[in-house]
Amino acid sequence: MSFEPKILGIACNWCTYTGADLAGTTRLQYPQNLRVVRVMCSSRINPSFIFRAFQLGADGVLVGGCHPGDCHYNTGNLYARRRLAVTKKILEFSGMEPGRFRVEWISASEGNRFAEVVTEFTEQIKKLGPQTKFKISQ
Amino acid sequence: MAISFKQIEEKLKTEAKRLLKAGTVSVVLAYGKGYDENHPMPYVAKNASDVENIVFNEFCTYNMARYLVRYPRGTKIAIAVKAADSRAVIQLVHEEKVFREDLVVMGIPVYGMKNSKTGEEIDSRTTCGLYNPVLYDMLLGEEVHGQPVVSPYDVLAPYEAMDKDERFAFWKKEFDRCIRCYACRKACPMCYCDPCFIDQNKPKWGDKSPQSSGNLMYHLTRFHHLAGRCVDCGECSRACPVNIPLYLFHKKVARECQEMFGQSAGMSIQDKPVLVNFRVDDSDKILE
Repeated sequence: MSFEPKILGIACNWCTYTGADLAGTTRLQYPQNLRVVRVMCSSRINPSFIFRAFQLGADGVLVGGCHPGDCHYNTGNLYARRRLAVTKKILEFSGMEPGRFRVEWISASEGNRFAEVVTEFTEQIKKLGPQTKFKISQ
Repeated sequence: MAISFKQIEEKLKTEAKRLLKAGTVSVVLAYGKGYDENHPMPYVAKNASDVENIVFNEFCTYNMARYLVRYPRGTKIAIAVKAADSRAVIQLVHEEKVFREDLVVMGIPVYGMKNSKTGEEIDSRTTCGLYNPVLYDMLLGEEVHGQPVVSPYDVLAPYEAMDKDERFAFWKKEFDRCIRCYACRKACPMCYCDPCFIDQNKPKWGDKSPQSSGNLMYHLTRFHHLAGRCVDCGECSRACPVNIPLYLFHKKVARECQEMFGQSAGMSIQDKPVLVNFRVDDSDKILE
């Protein structure tokens, strides 16, 4: 059986989640490997969510937020951008493959782009194979 | 020119006595006698008569900024700081844990400190490589000039050159030795959360027993919490009973923050810490 990755998507309520909704209503196809969690803003994301997701067996984490400058709360994603950049560097230095964590800005009207990003990211994770480094062995 | 530790000790005593007698401050955070010469201890002088117990020698490595947050707000405190410690004071002032007007900062320009466990000299490999305090009200000794200027990040090169699997194996080996005594957290001037995320039960972020999964969670999250705040004093690694080189990871994160956002923690009293600040024109490249 081919490897089907588990991907955690953390999406901002106002842009990416609505964008995903749009992708659904326009009947775009994208891989079913993504499990989306809705948060109110990308700056709501505690970096521990990401570490924890990897520990609990996620093969990849995709974070979606509004385009910088378009945040519903004006500045949320500007803080998130800095914070998640640090998260990425920490994952990298600890030895995690850099391709397993990705941040994308997807607005509410970009249903197409959401489908594209998810397809591309899933392909990427499939190439990387199962994530075993952080995963807690049972 | 070698540092005269005796001279600094005398000055420290005189200043502490003067401040306590005049009632300018109610406590003086400095170093006191331990069980022998090589093991001084953090010491709090509360009366002018306590001042006699103050010592200063090359083993006084502790970051006394750790103890600032223990006193109620408004307590007037005099604190003896070395270069990295003064950065911690600046950082704590930014975070409004202490107020600048409550502090009398006694700067100690010094080099050639020694690790009391190993006796090795402490240089820019494990600390920030500064000699003169960044912030001070009075300087106990002459400013240090003419010492070699070394980048504190040079020590990272071999670890950055490692392959990612090799690096993961390295960190796994190091973190697996962790016995979760939390000495790093206790020694760190920036770790003051109550409760610490790892002590929380709801949500339970990680295992509390010393197992690799919980150790990884604890350390990675701690590095993240100290991103842009770590002042590179190296106390965490010196406090560690199993000698995990925590300073390496802290240095790496500090360097990335410096490269991405253009400022180091606690180097200026004006700059806001990087992660509670943003610029509209931050590049999206930092996420790649």
